[in-house]
Amino acid sequence: MAFVNVSRDPERNFKNGYLATSLVGMGTTLVTFAKQVFGLEESNTVQWPEVEFQYSERFKGAHFLTKRPDGRVRCTACFLCATNCPAQCITIVAGESPDKGVEKYPVRFEIDILRCVFCGFCEEACPVDAIRMGPEYSMAGLAEQKWVYTKAYLLDREAVQRKVGEKQVSKKDENTKHDTVESSLPGVHAAHSGHDH
Amino acid sequence: MSNQITLSINNQSISVPAGSTIMEAAQKLGVSVPHFCWHPGLSIAGVCRFCMVKVEGMPKLQIACNTPATEGMKVDTVSAEVKDAHKWALEFHLINHPLDCPICDQAGECELQNYYMKVGKYQSQMEDEKVLKPKALDVGDTLVLDTERCILCSRCVRFEDEVTKTSTLGIFNRGDQATIGTYQGRKIKHNYSYNLADICPVGAFTAKDFRFKCRVWFLKEAKTVCPGCSTGCSVNLFQNSNQREYYRLKPRHNAEVNGHWMCDTGRTMYEHLNASTRLSAPLLNGENVTFHAALQAVSDATKSVSADKVAVVFTAQFTSEEYSAVLNSLKTTLKGTPKVFVWREETETEESFDGILFRGDRNPNTRGMTEVLKQESVGASILKGDFSALANAGAELTLVFGPEVESAYPSLAKALSRFVELKKSVYFGNTLNEVAKKFWLRIPVKTFAEKSGTFVNFNGVAQKLKANPPVYPAVKAVDEYFADLGKLAQSAV
Repeated sequence: MAFVNVSRDPERNFKNGYLATSLVGMGTTLVTFAKQVFGLEESNTVQWPEVEFQYSERFKGAHFLTKRPDGRVRCTACFLCATNCPAQCITIVAGESPDKGVEKYPVRFEIDILRCVFCGFCEEACPVDAIRMGPEYSMAGLAEQKWVYTKAYLLDREAVQRKVGEKQVSKKDENTKHDTVESSLPGVHAAHSGHDH
Repeated sequence: MSNQITLSINNQSISVPAGSTIMEAAQKLGVSVPHFCWHPGLSIAGVCRFCMVKVEGMPKLQIACNTPATEGMKVDTVSAEVKDAHKWALEFHLINHPLDCPICDQAGECELQNYYMKVGKYQSQMEDEKVLKPKALDVGDTLVLDTERCILCSRCVRFEDEVTKTSTLGIFNRGDQATIGTYQGRKIKHNYSYNLADICPVGAFTAKDFRFKCRVWFLKEAKTVCPGCSTGCSVNLFQNSNQREYYRLKPRHNAEVNGHWMCDTGRTMYEHLNASTRLSAPLLNGENVTFHAALQAVSDATKSVSADKVAVVFTAQFTSEEYSAVLNSLKTTLKGTPKVFVWREETETEESFDGILFRGDRNPNTRGMTEVLKQESVGASILKGDFSALANAGAELTLVFGPEVESAYPSLAKALSRFVELKKSVYFGNTLNEVAKKFWLRIPVKTFAEKSGTFVNFNGVAQKLKANPPVYPAVKAVDEYFADLGKLAQSAV
């Protein structure tokens, strides 16, 4: 019968003891402090919120909706993001667009941001690059605040305009049709030129 | 069986009547052959060239829909040659198709999409620009036409020619410029227009009623019966189960009743099912009460009267089970038979028929109700515009079972105001209705979509309803209320 004595830690010695490790740690602090005092090293601390931390451009934070070059919403209300959303936090109400080339657009587009799990599936599902996860990460607020992001908020909010700027205009091909489409087929549908419903 | 012929499809033999096509034999066998233009309810066009099959002994592939089956024929639908033909046929159909699936309402139930996933080429070899055609045309009060999405299967043209015989639609121009359209100055105006949106294999015809409202993959379908008229078409009722919101009805093939079609009036039968138009709580003397209190009030009222002082007013819009539950329950509690009246709409022309499906009798269960009354040996007097029989009955308690589909009763308000005049009148209904508020007691009931039961159509065909989850869970069907009333009466004893 062999015994292993586990009552005594083999690593336990003066070098690993409380006093020695505290002094080594304090030494590191003092060396870094001295370097920064004498200007030999930059500080790693970010003075948030006075100074904002710059995440990568591809950071996936709060959503925003992209725009067409003329400033209207890029979304065509196809519901693919809402279908793909595992948290079911996207609500869309589709309507007939006043622009006949676009046909369908979201009358309402709402994201219940408290339900959202920031998985990015909406962005991946979107066939027209209309919804993106933005650079905005600081979204704290009060309980009585409206936590459902409306279409207007998703389209035009200060944080996105500041950080995304011109890139909010989607470069993806427009699904608009040329104005002359209807006249390209002579004689047909001349009696009722459509789009008047 | 001399007029039967036997052929083999994919080495499975099948007997069909002489004169059948390969497509019909394949359908009978359960072998799916891809097709666009062929529709079992329409004539054969053979224009889409998609249903190619290999027939042994024939040098080239044949279309299944228009090739008659012959004795001993050997058909193959799965070989590489056939699959290749399907792939290329689909490639040609997609040449000018705009692929705007994200904004197309047909997406999700589109045959072009489904076949693309099944037999598609995936990598198009077409390099030329697509031909652009008119989109979102207003072709009638119910439909929107997108000629770009159209694959020119001509199902809609044949439907207009053969079923409704209105011939509004035609194919104009030639080649890749060909489009479906209405003849100059004409619009699609008939009571069967939504069938065009159904039979359109792509999203060229979309229903204005359903356009942009909901994507089809959110909808769950329930096999049920249309309550719109006494034809009682077999239908699928589509509900978004997350929202508990009904969106549309579509016909379900039933050779005995409606074939493949249903009318536009029947398509509106989802409108009264949604929460915004529904009664949710009982009303006693103008005040909301609990369901228990409402039933207690009915129970108390039945105790203090004799059977001949109770009048029951039926409309033929409830299930056969509900009628017998009401009559049996009242017979037990009252120890006698109450006076039964049948309320018919005054403007109704019961015998009228439009020649296709729609009947003048706008009640789905007239025949079923008559059968139950006969079975229970109860004589009923008809109230049609003239309510004096009921007024002279001297009833102290009147139970009115109001119509579920109020649009079928244009003079509803007038009739209800006559019932309100009576002493202690109870209204069983499901729609928010100003006049119904004036009843002594108003009890909400389930609609046809939420209850199980039977409708018997004008021809005596009995069909079962399918119960969906209720919009208001506390609301019950009439037979359930009367079962509860029976329990109340028992516990009181």
